[in-house]
Amino acid sequence: MSTPTLVGTVDDERTPRTATKRRRGREAHSVEASTHNRGPAWTAAGYAGMVLIVLVVAVPLFWILITSFKERGDIYVRPAQWWPDPATGENYRELTTRIPFVDYLRNSVIITGATSIAKIVLGVLSAYALSLLRFPGRSIVFLVVIAALMVPNQITVISNYALVAQLGWRNTYQGIIIPLAGVAFGTFLMRNQFLNLPGEIIEAARLDGAGPMKLLWRVVMPMSWPTLVAFALITVVNEWNEYLWPFLMSDDETTAPLPVGLTFLQNNDGVTNWGPVMAGTVLAMLPILVLFLFLQRQMIKGLTAGAVKS
Amino acid sequence: MNEFSRRGFLGLAGAAGVAGLAACAGTGTAPSTGSGGGSSNTIEFWSNHPGNSKPVEQQIIKSFEAANSGIKVKLVDAGKNYEEVAQKFNASLAGGQLPDVVVVSDVTWFNFALNKQLSPLDELLSGASIDTSDYVDALYNDYNLDDQHYALPFSRSTPLFYYNKDLWKAAGLEDRGPKDWDEFLTWAPKLKAAAGSDKIVMELPDGSNYLDWVFQNMVWGYGGAYSKEWTPTFSDPNTIKAGTYLQNLAKDGYLKLAKDPAPDFTAGIVGCSMMSTGSLGGVAKDAKFPVGTAFLPGDGNCPTGGAGVGIPANISDDRKKNALKFIEFLTNAQNTVTFTQATGYMPVRKSAVELPEEKAFLEKNPNAKTAIEQLPKTRSQDNARVLLPGGGARIGKGLDQIVQGQDVATVFKGLDAESQQVFDSQIKSKLGA
Repeated sequence: MSTPTLVGTVDDERTPRTATKRRRGREAHSVEASTHNRGPAWTAAGYAGMVLIVLVVAVPLFWILITSFKERGDIYVRPAQWWPDPATGENYRELTTRIPFVDYLRNSVIITGATSIAKIVLGVLSAYALSLLRFPGRSIVFLVVIAALMVPNQITVISNYALVAQLGWRNTYQGIIIPLAGVAFGTFLMRNQFLNLPGEIIEAARLDGAGPMKLLWRVVMPMSWPTLVAFALITVVNEWNEYLWPFLMSDDETTAPLPVGLTFLQNNDGVTNWGPVMAGTVLAMLPILVLFLFLQRQMIKGLTAGAVKS
Repeated sequence: MNEFSRRGFLGLAGAAGVAGLAACAGTGTAPSTGSGGGSSNTIEFWSNHPGNSKPVEQQIIKSFEAANSGIKVKLVDAGKNYEEVAQKFNASLAGGQLPDVVVVSDVTWFNFALNKQLSPLDELLSGASIDTSDYVDALYNDYNLDDQHYALPFSRSTPLFYYNKDLWKAAGLEDRGPKDWDEFLTWAPKLKAAAGSDKIVMELPDGSNYLDWVFQNMVWGYGGAYSKEWTPTFSDPNTIKAGTYLQNLAKDGYLKLAKDPAPDFTAGIVGCSMMSTGSLGGVAKDAKFPVGTAFLPGDGNCPTGGAGVGIPANISDDRKKNALKFIEFLTNAQNTVTFTQATGYMPVRKSAVELPEEKAFLEKNPNAKTAIEQLPKTRSQDNARVLLPGGGARIGKGLDQIVQGQDVATVFKGLDAESQQVFDSQIKSKLGA
């Protein structure tokens, strides 16, 4: 709490005249309040910065959204059209008729769901073992896991393909899901989280007779909720957007997820009709957006729960 | 309790370790010749559906299955572009379960042929008594290596000269494309004056998007080449002349490079461009001005492009025979007409133009006619671009540098050296073996 006050004071001492002016300019404000503020110029700059960042993030999204409602001839025009006129649902209709959108969506949900659950469960369990259980060779196992983190999946793709193809798993859900279920990143992230937990609490739980699983569920997990949610969110988003592996494994819409399916709207030699592509992008974004809004609340709840205690 | 789960965990860790090792050792058991998975009466066709052609492909497959009872064709989504099909095919080469028929582009087929991963087709073709003389010569001979053909043309395109007729009229030019690039240079100032300051006279794709493909036309137009057979000829005075021409166009403000000129052209910001015939349908549909098309400047200087279909080497002879039967059907006069009318590609058979439905189609679509009439004037591309690994990207990068103002002779000299080095290290030893 002391830092902002201090900065405010220094600020005031250095520029007493502007500070006075500032105070005069905003008569309604108390002296105390003004010591916490940085002046209208700074505030304006702050807002300008925020607006700029929002624009950088939001304009492309906005563009995707309006393009998905435009007629084909209105997409490439100059000056640019900032509002679909006339608006049309044609792109969404074309999206569902030109590619089997529902099939791709179903595959995406199945693959993302299964892979994410596998990753989260494996990540938590392995991180728990590597941080709080003691067994010989623990650090070596951890090193191997970390080493796996260093190998980009583009490199292992060919050998994975060979293995899965020989199992006869091409164009099957398990062929796509199982090789994706490895979790070096989750192990790493959750292990660091678990190591940061106060040792006294863990020790107390053990003294009270909590077994390893009870310790995990009743003590470790509740304290690690925000990290877990963040990890889960990252995992789900990554899996939802995963392209290379599902593309190699799937042959058609019986197993291919959305990112693969949407590419078939693009014309690979000639002019792409971007309307349906944008419509597909919008629909592909929605589930993740909803999930994010839901999990974000959980994340904040977890964060504040930790902050006000002790 | 504690002790037990510790052991349990160790067991699990061990199992996980073994699984991990197994995953790493995937390439150990490559399938032996002839057993690349799949059955002989189901043809797996790996395609990227060039030009959004999936419905047409399905239609052709249906009529093939009707004509050949007992043979099924499975159409596989093998990627969004030719490079992705190549990538997926590559993966299957390592892991078995090969397709029967695979789409290979003008750039990707050679590496597979060179490494004996595609079947040479000539013997199969004569065995099945298929007459190859009906294929358009330039297109058929694109897949020639050591007097063997490794693919048959399927979705073939050429660049076309697209121009904005309104701008042409405003500049007081005749309604046609330039005869050669020198003539274009005399037109450019008029076009620029008519276009105004916020429009661009000519936009071409940049070096990572096939500038090297359309520039082939300029190079040939000035009597140069990327290479003669396997000898790179970037330093040839004529090639340098073409490079300087390109540089000057940019320097004088007539030329701009873009990732994809089609949107700018259809928006009316750009006066003219060289783009694939594949863009024809889309551009005509999107543009709000009359679109003109013409032959590329010069005579007989039009590079071919696009893709063909090949058959993997390591599959059984029965499968190869069926695959060829399907390829022949896919590219016969009737079907090449069906396919190209739906996509904007070129019919790959000479006799296709004689079919009544094609005649009627061309009557209605004069721009498509331009493309087909240009077909006899096409020329197979120089080896340095299409056959040397990474050739297109290498040349494209060099051209980007030239347009940005680097010295033409220096850049081309570098291309000579690099191309030669790639040839020596990756191709030379495998040729004629």
